[in-house]
Amino acid sequence: MSVNTRTRIKLAGRHPELAAPPLKPFGAKKARNREALAGILFVLPTLVIFGLFKFLPIFGAGAMSLTEYSLNGDFEFLGAENYTRLAADPNFWQSLRVTFLYVAIFVPFIIAVSLAGAVLLDKLVRFTGTFRALLFIPYLSSFVMAGIIWTWIFSTDGPLNAALVGLGMGPVPFTSGPQLLVLLSLAVVSVWKGFGYSMLIFLAGLKAQPAEVHEAARIDGAGAWKSFWYVTLPLLKPVVFFVLVIETIVGFQVFDTIYVMTGGGPARASHSLIYFLFDEGFKFFDFGYASAIGVVLFVIVLILSLIQQRFFEGKDSK
Amino acid sequence: MTATVSTPAVGGRPAKGAVPGPAGRSPRRNTEKRRQRTLTWVLAVISLFTVAPLIAVAVLALSPEDAPTLPYALPSSLTLDNIVRIFNVGEFPLWLWNSFLYSAVSVVVVLLTASMAAYALARKRFPGRNALLWAIIATMMVPVQATLIPTFILISKMGGVNTLWGLILPTLANAQAIFLIRQFVRDMPEELFDAARIDGAGEWRTFWQIVLPLIRPVLATLAIFVFLWHWNDLLWPLVVGQSDAARTLTVGLATLNTETASTSNVMAATLVSFIPCLVIFALLQKHIVASITHSGVKG
Repeated sequence: MSVNTRTRIKLAGRHPELAAPPLKPFGAKKARNREALAGILFVLPTLVIFGLFKFLPIFGAGAMSLTEYSLNGDFEFLGAENYTRLAADPNFWQSLRVTFLYVAIFVPFIIAVSLAGAVLLDKLVRFTGTFRALLFIPYLSSFVMAGIIWTWIFSTDGPLNAALVGLGMGPVPFTSGPQLLVLLSLAVVSVWKGFGYSMLIFLAGLKAQPAEVHEAARIDGAGAWKSFWYVTLPLLKPVVFFVLVIETIVGFQVFDTIYVMTGGGPARASHSLIYFLFDEGFKFFDFGYASAIGVVLFVIVLILSLIQQRFFEGKDSK
Repeated sequence: MTATVSTPAVGGRPAKGAVPGPAGRSPRRNTEKRRQRTLTWVLAVISLFTVAPLIAVAVLALSPEDAPTLPYALPSSLTLDNIVRIFNVGEFPLWLWNSFLYSAVSVVVVLLTASMAAYALARKRFPGRNALLWAIIATMMVPVQATLIPTFILISKMGGVNTLWGLILPTLANAQAIFLIRQFVRDMPEELFDAARIDGAGEWRTFWQIVLPLIRPVLATLAIFVFLWHWNDLLWPLVVGQSDAARTLTVGLATLNTETASTSNVMAATLVSFIPCLVIFALLQKHIVASITHSGVKG
């Protein structure tokens, strides 16, 4: 008579009509209380962890940015002074300029590479899995590892300069030369490490496109390039936008490669926003000031996220 | 006319099961073949760009220390000396162990607490549920770097600087894990839980024997990404693990690289640090690819 839970679950999955009806409200209030208690107990570990290490630091960042906070825990309320100090600090504007410049190089670069990779993989018939894996592998490495490898590749006696010298064009100071060159070199490293992820998102977007549209374009006499430009790309626009926002946020958070490869140099040429935060916080222990930089970063990322949300909601409601 | 339409190339994608024309070698088919060959070559060149740096690391790591011959020539012989050395000299084994604990403990605790919370948030009614869910999701908009300073102050007040628990604790709050698992649990049929209730399964048993086995796919995906994220993380370990007691591999590698360690040693350490990621990828490639393309998990 009594069917055990497992069988009942199996049955319920395939034949909902065989499952027992839900319990009639019998002592409904007591059951509700028990349910609430269970819910709270299950959520309790998360509540403690999030309360301490997410919610508290988020409010803490805002509060600390209004103080002068010293290492031993003494603090003095300053109001908006840290922010006026930021506005007058040339190093802050320099780091903001570096970060925007880096994003302007990095984002189009990574989108172009990952889109190209995805389009090629999409058109390929054989060995797709192999090439997909080969293109994706660098994504598994850390930015630290990527930085170490490319420091060697870019170094004066690395392979790149060996080839350039052989051609009579070197050596090129990839990580110590003019600012644009240094930021470009840093972007190359991040693109190498990161493009596999966006490539897979693009690839999924391409696979989801209806074949009929491309067929129609072909019948109308559109070549591969025209078909890509006028059919594939417009259809892919939401995916491109999604990747654009994600990679922009990644770009604004650039730190690891700079820490490993240039140390923010030469002469602050690659001193990004996070690097500035790190320096102020853990070199000069100016915690209040560093928190204010964190708030600025948060505002930038928030604006980007809101644009993304706006875009997607606008699309859904249509 | 119709023959042209039914030939293999459909927007560059040969339709499965398309029947070749009676001749079997139409001009279009030849063009397509040539195109595929070009495509393969182009992709081979791009693969060289992605893979060659990794091969260079392996070659440099396995080259004799006094004579690293790349980029001018291949080494005349390969040796494991560098790898043996980094395991015997310096603190490398300790960093490796710290990185392993940082990643493994985080994976286990994040998966357990996140699935418990996700179950409650998706299936239980309790006061404050929606507010909590909203607050957890909202934290995804705050970049970790923005709360770096207050988190560090908090951990230092708790006495956690340069300790493993201080390193691990703040990274256990993972909103994305809760969000993803919750979607899974929410989509389970209510009958499942009714059946469990009728058979007298308690709350914990329902969670342990019904929910957990059914969310195994999403747990596997999350395990991979949480592991990779911790294994490759730099900024937080750099800030909180300033001595060897809590220094992770990434921080150790970064310091090795700026100090006067030889290229062979640095590359050997880099190679060893990459092996776990490579093994995970080799074993779970399908899983990783599917999860990025379906849910957009950001590792």
